[in-house]
Amino acid sequence: MSDRPGEPAGPAGARGEGARADELPDEVAAAAGQGVPDPEPAPEADGTWKRMHPVTPLVRGWAVLAVLLFFVVQQRGESFFSGGGPDAGDTGDQPFARIQLLVSLGLLGVGVLAVAAWAYLSWRATRYRVGEEAVELRSGVLFRQHRRVRLDRLQAVDVVQPLVARLTGLSELKLEVAGGAGSDVSLAYLRSSEAQRLRRTLLARAAGVGVDEAGEAPEAPEREVLQVPVDRLVLSMARSVWPVVGAVVVVALVVVVVVTGEPGIGLALVPGVFGVAAGVWGAFARGFGFRIAASPDGLRLRHGLTETRAQTVPPGRVQAVRLQQPLLWRGPDWWSMEMDVAGYAGGASDDAGKETVLLPVGTRAEAVEVLSLLLPDPGCEDPAGVLGAGLTGTGREHGWVDAPRSARWLDPVAWRRNGYRVTRTALLARRGRLVRQLDVVPHERTQSLALEQGPLQRRLGLATVVAHTTPGPVSPRADHLAAADAAGLLAEQARRARAARRSAGPELWMTTLAEQAREARDGAPAATGTPAAVGAPGAPGEPVRADAGAPGEPVRADAGAPGQDAPSSPVSPSEPSWREDAP
Amino acid sequence: MAARADDGVFDPQGVEWTRVSPRLATVRRIGSALGHLVLLVPAVVLALVLDRWWVLLLWLPVGGLLVLRQVLIGRQVAAIGYAEREDDLLVREGLLFRTLVVVPYGRMQYVDVSAGPVDRRFGIATVQLHTASAGTDATIPGLPPADAERLRDRLASRGEARLAGL
Repeated sequence: MSDRPGEPAGPAGARGEGARADELPDEVAAAAGQGVPDPEPAPEADGTWKRMHPVTPLVRGWAVLAVLLFFVVQQRGESFFSGGGPDAGDTGDQPFARIQLLVSLGLLGVGVLAVAAWAYLSWRATRYRVGEEAVELRSGVLFRQHRRVRLDRLQAVDVVQPLVARLTGLSELKLEVAGGAGSDVSLAYLRSSEAQRLRRTLLARAAGVGVDEAGEAPEAPEREVLQVPVDRLVLSMARSVWPVVGAVVVVALVVVVVVTGEPGIGLALVPGVFGVAAGVWGAFARGFGFRIAASPDGLRLRHGLTETRAQTVPPGRVQAVRLQQPLLWRGPDWWSMEMDVAGYAGGASDDAGKETVLLPVGTRAEAVEVLSLLLPDPGCEDPAGVLGAGLTGTGREHGWVDAPRSARWLDPVAWRRNGYRVTRTALLARRGRLVRQLDVVPHERTQSLALEQGPLQRRLGLATVVAHTTPGPVSPRADHLAAADAAGLLAEQARRARAARRSAGPELWMTTLAEQAREARDGAPAATGTPAAVGAPGAPGEPVRADAGAPGEPVRADAGAPGQDAPSSPVSPSEPSWREDAP
Repeated sequence: MAARADDGVFDPQGVEWTRVSPRLATVRRIGSALGHLVLLVPAVVLALVLDRWWVLLLWLPVGGLLVLRQVLIGRQVAAIGYAEREDDLLVREGLLFRTLVVVPYGRMQYVDVSAGPVDRRFGIATVQLHTASAGTDATIPGLPPADAERLRDRLASRGEARLAGL
C-alpha cells in the first residue's frame, strides 16, 4: 500500500524507454551502417548477416518471465489473504483492495510487454556474419557493438546447451579468443544442427583447411579417448574434502545444539549447508558424463548433466596442464587435470571452473594418455620414469632437480617434493606432499619467467622460479630451489623457450595436418582417427629442430615444411612416449 | 662472502644493467612522507580533543617507519635495473624481496608508458610491458620521458620482429 505512489513511475519509464528504443535502432543502424550492405538475413550461405534463432529471447528470458510469474502469484496470494483474512471484516476496504489488485496486474502487464519489446528489439539488433577469415557479431539496442574475431586467433570453440536450450533444441556457440573478460563471441542461440555445422566450418577455416562452396566442412574424424564413469565421479567426490567438511559441520551442529539446548542455533547454519550442497551438486553436474575425444581439429571435451558443454580446443591452444591428486585419491591412484587456455579464464564468472577442467577424475593411465595427446613428444629419455617421478617421486631421480635440505625451514612438509625437470619440449614442475601436483608447460607457451627471492630464502641460499602462462588455474612455479639451480633454470628456460618459439607450429595448424591427411588418403588410409591425428605438428610437442620453420615468423602456410620432413615422427612407435608401455 | 655469491643469482653473466633515474627516489620519498604524515592528523586531533600532548607520541612508531622508508627508498631505487638483451628484456627490482623478470620480446602484447602529476613534475615516467599472462610484472619506473618513449618504440619494434603466437 505504502509503495503505491512510487509504482506507476517504473513501468511508465520502462514504456517510455521501450518507445524510444523503438525509434532508435534504425537511426543508429543508419549511422553505423555506412559501407555495410543492409543486413537483411539471406538464408543459408555464409558471408551474409544472419539473426539468431527466433526463440532466443524466450530461452534467455525465461528467468525474467519466471520472476514475473512469481510476483503475480505472490500478489494474488496476498490479495487473497487481505481479501479473505480476518482483518477484511471492514467492508470499506474491499473495493480498495480490488483496485489495488487491478492496478498491480495492469502494471505487471505493462512490465511484461516492456520486457518482451526489449527482448524483441535486442534479438532484432543481434546479427552475425561468418566470413572466410573472421566472424562478426553486431549487437545492442541503444549501445551498439560490432565485434570482429579473426579465425586464426581462435583459442577454443564451445557449444553450450543450458537446460532450457536443450529442451528447445538450441545451442550457444562460443568462440573463445585471448583477450580478457568478455572477449569471447557468443552466438546464442542457434539451432543445434546449425551450431554444429558452424563449429565444423569455423574450425576448418581456423585450421587453414579449405571448405567447399556451400561452406560445408566434413566432420573431423574423432577417436574417443576416455569416459569418466558416474560411479567413479561419485566415489571421487566422496573421497574429496566435501564429506569431511560436511561431517565437521554436522558434528559441530549436534554438539552446539546439545550443549546449548537451543535448536534455533542450528538454523543459522542452514545457509552454509545449502552452500555446500550447491557446491557438491555443481561439481557433480559439471563432471557428469565427462568424455574426451581426440580429433584432428583438437581435443574434444563433452560434459554436463543439466547444462551440457562440448568444448573443442585446437592443438597447441592448451598453454599449461596441471595434474593433481588429493590425499584420499591415492588408494585408487586417481588424478584430476586442469588446463590453461587463453580464451577461457577471462570468461564470465558463472563459467569459471566449468571450462578449464581437462579431466575431473581419471586413473593414472588415463591422465597420462590425455597428457600425451597434448604433448606427444616428451623430449627426454625414459619419459614414463620422468613422469612417475614428477607425479609421486622425490629426490633427484630421472633427472629431476629438487630443493636442497635448507628448504625444509620454509616448507617443512613438502620440501622434498618441490622440484623441476626440463625436457627438450616442456618444463615440468612438481610440488605438494599431501595434495600432489605436477605442472607441465610446453616451452613455446611460456610467456615470461621470474626469479624471486625473499629475505629468508636469501639467508638459506634459496630462490623460486615462476613461469608465467596465460590466466587460468595453472600457475607453474618451482619453490625454494637452490639459488644456483634457480638461476640456471631461468637461463636455460629462457633459451629453450626462445628456441621452441622459433620452431613452433603454424597458427593455421591444419596446413601441416592437411598435408598429412592427403598423404594418408593416398597411401595408407588408416592414419586418421589414431592418436597420430591429435598429436601432430601444430601441437606443443613439436620437437625442437634447429632447422625447422623460418626463424622469424612461423605463421604462414609454408611453415608446413617441418611437417613434411617428418610427417609421422612425433607419433611413430619408436618415439618415446609418456605412456608406461612405450619402449 | 655468501652475499657475494648470492648476488650472482640476480646478476646473470654478461648483462649490462641500466639503472633508473634517482629522481624516482625523490618522487617515492614524497609519496611515502605524505602517506605517513596523513596519519599525523588524527593524532593531532586526538591530542587537541583530549588535551593530552603525549597522545602525539602514538605517532612516533609511524614516524620511525617513515625515517626507515626514507632511507630504504634510495637503496630500493638503486636496486631497480633493466637490461635489453638480444631476445628478451630483463627487469630486476627489490632489496629484501628481490625479483628478476625475463620477458621475451616476441611475447609482448603491448607496452604502457604512464606518468602521474608528481612524476611529470620531476620528469620521470613508467614503462610497463604486458604479455598474455597476468603474472608478468615487468615494470620499469623512473625513466626520463624521452628515454621511456625511446624504450617503448624499441621494444615495440623488437616485439614485431620476433612476433610469436600465443
